[in-house]
This record gives sequence, C-alpha cells and structure tokens, in this order.
Amino acid sequence: MIFLALRYLIARRRQTILTLLGIFFGAAAYVSISGFFLGFREYLIDQLVNNSAHVHIQAREEFLDEHSLDASFYGKTMRHVFWSTPPSGRKDNAIVENPQSWYRRLAADPRVAAYSPQLSANVIFSKGRTTASAALVGCDPVQQVKVTTIGDYVIQGSWSDLAAGGNRIVIGDELRKKLGVVVSQNILIASAKSPATPFKVVAVFKTGSAQADTRAYGAITDVQRVNHTPNQVNEIAVRLHDHTQAAALAVTWSALSPEKVESWDQQNASLFSVFALQDAIRFLSIGAIMIVAGFGIYNVLNMTVVQKRRDIAILRSMGYGSNDVVWLFFSQGLILGISGVTLGLGFGYLLGLYLQTVPFGASPLGRGAGHLLISFNPAIYLQAALLAMAATLLASVLPARAAGRLAPIEIIRTGTE
Amino acid sequence: MSIVARNVDKVVGEPPNRVLSGITLEIRDGEFVALTGRSGAGKSTLLYLLSSLDPVSAGTVEIAGRDVGRMSERELCRFRNEAMGFVFQFHYLIAELSALENVLLPARRTGQETQRSIQARRLLDQFGLADKSARLPRELSGGEQQRVAIARALVMEPEYLFADEPTGNLDSVNGETVMQIIRESNAKLGTTVVMVTHDPGFADMAKRKINLADGRIVA
Repeated sequence: MIFLALRYLIARRRQTILTLLGIFFGAAAYVSISGFFLGFREYLIDQLVNNSAHVHIQAREEFLDEHSLDASFYGKTMRHVFWSTPPSGRKDNAIVENPQSWYRRLAADPRVAAYSPQLSANVIFSKGRTTASAALVGCDPVQQVKVTTIGDYVIQGSWSDLAAGGNRIVIGDELRKKLGVVVSQNILIASAKSPATPFKVVAVFKTGSAQADTRAYGAITDVQRVNHTPNQVNEIAVRLHDHTQAAALAVTWSALSPEKVESWDQQNASLFSVFALQDAIRFLSIGAIMIVAGFGIYNVLNMTVVQKRRDIAILRSMGYGSNDVVWLFFSQGLILGISGVTLGLGFGYLLGLYLQTVPFGASPLGRGAGHLLISFNPAIYLQAALLAMAATLLASVLPARAAGRLAPIEIIRTGTE
Repeated sequence: MSIVARNVDKVVGEPPNRVLSGITLEIRDGEFVALTGRSGAGKSTLLYLLSSLDPVSAGTVEIAGRDVGRMSERELCRFRNEAMGFVFQFHYLIAELSALENVLLPARRTGQETQRSIQARRLLDQFGLADKSARLPRELSGGEQQRVAIARALVMEPEYLFADEPTGNLDSVNGETVMQIIRESNAKLGTTVVMVTHDPGFADMAKRKINLADGRIVA
C-alpha cells in the first residue's frame, strides 16, 4: 500500500508540496523559535546557577509597627496597648545574627560544597576629582571563588592577589571606567562612618552585566573596617553540590533561624513566571501553525478519498480489505508527516546554526563576542516531531477511516467517481 | 467448486425495494454463463451477490461449498484475491500506475508481484499490449484499457471470472476482441465465467444464458 500511497502523492505534486510545507514550517518554526527562547533561557539559568551562590542567607530587615514593642514593655498580660506616638523605624542593623552557628551548620552539611560570608556596604569611590557611589562587597577571597564564578571574569590582574590582604580591591569594569583607574593604581573609599581610605586595585572583572560590573570586591576584614562593623556579615553565600536542592534546603534552613534564606530560583521567581508565559505563547503560536497544517492534510486526504472512490472499489474487489484501504490513506499522511518533520527539523537546525553567528547585542544576550544564543537541546526536536506527527496523524486518521468504511458495491452501483 | 444460490432475495434502499426475489441457481465449474435481461432486471445485482461483493438480504450463496455470508472479511478477501477476477463496464484502472503495475496489483496484496510478473507480461503480450506495458491508462485507448483490466482479472489465474457489461463501453471491434479473450480464458483455462450483458450477440457466445425479468429468473 505504501507503493500506491507514494504514487498518489507523486501524482498530486502541488497538493503534496503545499501540505508538506505546512508541516515543514510548523516543525521548523517550533525548533527555531524554541531554540531561540530556550537558548537565551538556558544561558540565563546557567548564569544564575553558576555565577552566583545557590542559597543566600541574608540578614532580615525588620520594620517596627504599632505593636512590635508591646510584649517587650508590658509582657504578655496586657492585651491592648495604645501608644500616643506609636513606635516606628527599623528594628536593628541588617546583620546575620549568629554567623558562627551558620558556619558550623554549613560546614557539617554534606550537601554544601562551599560557603562565603560577605559584608556589602554602599561606599563612595574616588580617584582624583572623580567620585562614584557603588557597592563594595567584602568576602573571603578563597571561598568566594568556590561559591561564585567571579574569578573567571577577571580580565586584568589576578583575583588571588586579594587574599594577600592590606586594602586591596578587585573592581568591576564599568566602575573602573567611571573612575578612570587601572590595575596597580590606588583609589579612595569612604563610607558614611569613616574617612577616605586608600585601596589598591589589584584586578578588574567584567561579567557583561552592567549592574554587576559596577561593584567592587575586597577582603571582608578590610570592608568591615571601612564600614566600622567589625566581625559583622550581612550575607552568607552558599554553593551546593546539586543546585536543584536549593529551594528545598532554603525552606528547611529558613525555619531554623531568623535570617532570610532564599534559593537562586526563589530570588528569581519573577523571571521564571516570565519563562512560563513565554512557554504558553510559544506553544499557542506553534499550536496554531500545527492546526492549520493538520487541516491542510485533512482537506487534501478527504478530497483524495472522494476522488479515489473507484480505486477503493477495485482494490476491494481484488481482495484488499478495509484495513488495507485505511492504511493506503493513513500512510499518505504518515509519509507527509515524516517527510515534513524531517525537513523541518533539519532546516530548523541549520537556521539555528546560522542564527548563532548573528551578532546581537553584548553579553548576557550573546556568548563571547555577543552572538545570538540558540539551544540545540534534543528535547526541542523531540517535542517538535511529536507535535507535528500528532497533528498529522490526527488529521489523517479521519479521512482514512472514512475510506475504509466505503462499501465497494455502493461505489460500483453508482458508477461515480 | 460450483456457485450455488438458494432462494436469494435482495432488498435495497428506503423505502425497501425488492430487486431480486427467490433466485435459485447453480453455476458449475468451467461454465460460461451470461446473465441477460432488460435494464433494471437485476442482472448486475445478481452478479455481485454471486461474487460476494454484495451481501444477500435472504437466502444463501455458496461458492466452492462455502456459504459466503458466513465467511469472515479476512477469508473473503483472500478468496477474492486468489480465486476471483472482476471486469467492470468501466475499466477502473488506477490512473497513477502503468499498465503492467495495474495488472500486477492483485499479486501485490500477497507480495507475489515478482512471481506473477511473467504471467502479467504474457497476458499483456497475448492481448496485444506488450509494447504498452509501461504506459499509464490515460495513454491507452478505451479498448486497450479494458484489455489491461481483463489481464488484471486473470493474472492470479482465478477459478471464477465475474464480468459486468465488459463490452458496454467499447466499440464493436474492441468489444469483439474483449469477448474473444474472455471466451478463450474459459475454453483454454477452464475459468468459470459469469458475465452480465445486454448484447444478444455476446450473450450467444456463452454456453448458458440466464434471463432475468423484474428480479426473477424467467429462462
């Protein structure tokens, strides 16, 4: 029957090509659009997972409301306390209350690969007459490169020089440009609590993110001194062996302490809801293409069944069964589906390879020199094939079954085509 | 191996219209039977009942001792493929296949196209179509197309050949040729032929005539 199905398809070249194009475009569109969206997404997730910590333990900022201090002043016996001037403001400094207990807990946990205490402070950088306000992150230089990939983004100097201590900083490229400073030069760093202190620039990093590149890193003891907060940390960055455990661990740890514990995916929940929306739009638009392609196949096969009534009658008279007739028409849909999907996936793959060479913006939209990022995840190709084949087979089965139900004697009796 | 019909009735349509009533007959092996009668007498209906393409409304049809009404679709298909050949008034060739491919179509069902290709070419040669085996039906004349259709009906060397007005759409010269072929297959191969015709001259070529009128056998 495949032999005859192929002959039918070849004889109706124009219809066959048009139908094939429908499936081809559906599959190619799915592969290229999904490749584009998911390439960008994979890059972003990769950045989130690899470049920053998996779990962030941060000091919780608590704000006072009217009844925050009731218990402290009057105990639990007084149920209704009225203030002439209700308390307000922030409860305490934003610091991790008992970092030592966290260090012990993290060191003992086999799921933790590394952790790095940090103290971030907003300071004023100045070089000559140029000043810039930015964040200065104090960290343990040895642990920090185990927790994040910041060391990989150093473009001048060496991150390890930070570990030598003695007022040294690694500066982001954006901040470096603002200040007009180069490696080995000194800059002044001042906070609200301390006068300007000289720091030596030992390295420059560039991640591609303007926000990240506008900060600087120093040894935590130096930053604590500049900030006049000795021994205090306001964040502990944790890297896990398995990043997928981050959310569950964050929930567990959150219940154990007053600190705010968030995983990398919880911190970027809004990004994931955008991804979900992207998926919905992607499936809806490609689904529409597939439905149109499916209707194309349905119409063509339906018309073929009507045109080939005499052939059905003669085939049945020479001993072909109703299942053979069903297969004759169903296999045409199958051939169109397999060919369209194969060509569509191939074209989508080549289009992806080409798109990958198209210059587009700079990192993080592009890899390295700033090219479009395309995902070639096999799951995309599998989904495209399944979706296109499902549309094709659904569209083929109805006309094929109708053909199988035709009684040969009715066709012969009417003598019509 | 004869064909036996017992008290066969055929009712079609809504409201029910009785096309055949109380048909009882026996067609013995190797017979050449012409079903004759006026238009609407029920000739073609009887042919399709006898050949298992159409189910009876009442009564039984037995071919080679088996009640076709009790055979499964699978058995019927195999029986039609191996033991029956059909020739229709309109040739019913498949437009996308060459003459030879059309002839070999019954053999394809059981994957015998290679074994049967010698027989197919021999038939086409015998019917004067040896040089036209690669042509598509549209490149053949009406008579040639009907000869291809007969070759297709005979390629499996069937025991029964059912022909419904095989010359009805042909001129007299081509009609004579087609009748000659059918008669030869009956005479030389011993094929049982049941043929519907309204042409008295062609009906006379048969060894036996069954005349129908108003759905009943009258002679």
